[in-house]
Amino acid sequence: MEKIQNIYKVVSNEKLCPQFWRMTFDAPDIVREVKPGQFVHIRTGEGLEPFFRRPFSVYRAQKYVEIFYEAVGPGTKLLSQKKKGDTVDVLGPVGTPFALPPEGTKQVVMIAGGIGVAPMLILSDVLKKKKCELVLLYGGRTRGHVYPMQEFKDGGIKVFVATDDGSVGIKGRVSALFGKIRKDPQTTFLYTCGPDAMMAAVQDFAGQHNLRGQAACEEIMACALGACLGCSIETKHGYRTVCYDGPAFDIHEVIFHP
Amino acid sequence: MNLSVKIANVTFKNPVTVASGTFGHAEKYYDLEEAKRLGAIVPKTVTFHPQAGNPPVRIFETPSGMINAIGIENPGIDAFIAEKLPAFRKIGVPLIVSILGHTPEQFVGIMEKLNSPAFGGGIAAVELNLSCPNLKFQTLVAQDPQATQALVHKIKAISKFPIIAKLSPNVTDIAVIALAAQDGGADAVSLVNTFNAMAVDVRTQRSRIGNFTGGLSGPAIRPMAVYMVHSVAKAVQVPVIGMGGIMTADDALEFLIAGATMVAVGTANFVNPRAPLEVLQGIEAYMREHKIDDIKDIIGSLKYDKK
Ligand SMILES: Cc1cc2nc3c(=O)[nH]c(=O)nc-3n(C[C@H](O)[C@H](O)[C@H](O)COP(=O)(O)OP(=O)(O)OC[C@H]3O[C@@H](n4cnc5c(N)ncnc54)[C@H](O)[C@@H]3O)c2cc1C
Ligand SMILES: Cc1cc2nc3c(=O)[nH]c(=O)nc-3n(C[C@H](O)[C@H](O)[C@H](O)COP(=O)(O)O)c2cc1C
Ligand code: FES
Repeated sequence: MEKIQNIYKVVSNEKLCPQFWRMTFDAPDIVREVKPGQFVHIRTGEGLEPFFRRPFSVYRAQKYVEIFYEAVGPGTKLLSQKKKGDTVDVLGPVGTPFALPPEGTKQVVMIAGGIGVAPMLILSDVLKKKKCELVLLYGGRTRGHVYPMQEFKDGGIKVFVATDDGSVGIKGRVSALFGKIRKDPQTTFLYTCGPDAMMAAVQDFAGQHNLRGQAACEEIMACALGACLGCSIETKHGYRTVCYDGPAFDIHEVIFHP
Repeated sequence: MNLSVKIANVTFKNPVTVASGTFGHAEKYYDLEEAKRLGAIVPKTVTFHPQAGNPPVRIFETPSGMINAIGIENPGIDAFIAEKLPAFRKIGVPLIVSILGHTPEQFVGIMEKLNSPAFGGGIAAVELNLSCPNLKFQTLVAQDPQATQALVHKIKAISKFPIIAKLSPNVTDIAVIALAAQDGGADAVSLVNTFNAMAVDVRTQRSRIGNFTGGLSGPAIRPMAVYMVHSVAKAVQVPVIGMGGIMTADDALEFLIAGATMVAVGTANFVNPRAPLEVLQGIEAYMREHKIDDIKDIIGSLKYDKK
């Protein structure tokens, strides 16, 4: 295997809205290799603080690698301070990508909460070639989350939004949008990423209607290479690592603890 | 330049290895040609039966380190031999297999499997993990000199391989335990395993770790680990394998100068997968710069006079 950790030049790093940032870096090798659902593991600072790298889904990989992130704590705040021309120490792409929908799928529904929308754009870029209808159900806290939706709409994706405060879309949880989609076990396929409570609701819904799908999970990570066994989550097949066995799992396999 | 070191009758081409539980599936992310340069590789501890490990959350970041409570998740010795070992063997670097029994009989059982002619070789030494802090249902062997001596003695008596006793820092005087291991016939001691540790989420008033407590590793423990390696190296005649927070060549040199014969890179692998190779290169550069031809001239070279 080739070296999977490299230093790359930051091409841009911009604030999209109060919460969300997008960083673009020049990593042609990652662009070539990455598949939807895989992630990169970034060293956000030079020294020992923060100590761990931080995992970020690849949001898009066209000319450059793009990540879409929320500045929540020390690591992501440091990341948000990077400027064009700075460098980032990136390990990746890593993780098991999303399984693609089976033949005969007519409608693909992406169900995302908050920053969980991050792996969906690169996924839709790949799915567009499959010629199925693409729908995004998106749940966010408030208006601040709306900006990236445009990129999905521009890509011909049908977007439905629910916000906790009703500032955009309908008021309520993303599950309130389940009525917008077809529920045909043969032709509908789901992808979900977001808080555990939301993914648990999607799992319930998929169970009720016998729908197939994939969930992208999160856990605190150290190595992101399957070496430390630190990022394990509970599944119906015992503990599995999010970084190596996942982040993408069969939606019915994961045991969520909302 | 001679970097080779010896444990019992086994020669390692250089003193740099990796700490058990921190190197994982080497073949999946390492350029094998590069990994071949390491002096030895230590896979994650293997137990007699498969072990599922502890519930999440298993790791937590701390200032300059981490707390872990993995709970020795491993497939058990049979699956290890059948499924994991071939990949490690392929690297072609001497293997130090780390084993843990929950009873002396289980230690013996694992040892017999490794001894078996059917096993196929490829092992340079066996490390007895006497010191995992994440299995809360028993006291550690490495916290009791008598138990340490007795267990080492029992395994040494049947082992085809040199025996290394891995010690816990969670004791009043680690040199006493190291001496007990030596008296039991250990060919080397390795230290330190992780320090008992805990972190609390003040919002929820709960532990950050699923298993409640865990073990601290990383640069945060290095000065304590160097201290312990120094005190053990002074006390025993057998080689000491030093570890605890080694990130760079200078960190590793601290251990060597303090008396370690080999050094293991652990938590650093998670931040920089190439850390062990950089440590090795850095040691070589240090030797060139200081015109040292033999690594033995560094080992235990600590000066006690004031400068
Ligand atoms: C596979 C994967 C993909 C991800 N993709 C994205 C993405 O595309 N965009 C984005 O904004 N965020 C993403 N996250 C979450 C992101 O990694 C965390 O928000 C980030 O690590 C927080 O770091 P911090 O220092 O700013 O915050 P802190 O709160 O200080 O982080 C402290 C510790 O918690 C860990 N941590 C905190 N939150 C999470 C979390 N939700 N998941 C995993 N570890 C966490 C950090 O790694 C660190 O070890 C992803 C997480 C995973 C596991
Ligand atoms: C995630 C993790 C898993 C570990 N697993 C084992 C193990 O299976 N067996 C063992 O003897 N030590 C284990 N250790 C301890 C390390 O081998 C080492 O003794 C310790 O981490 C100190 O070195 P470091 O600070 O360089 O990591 C583990 C440490 C970590 C961080
Ligand atoms: S983060 Fe180390 S195994 Fe997943």
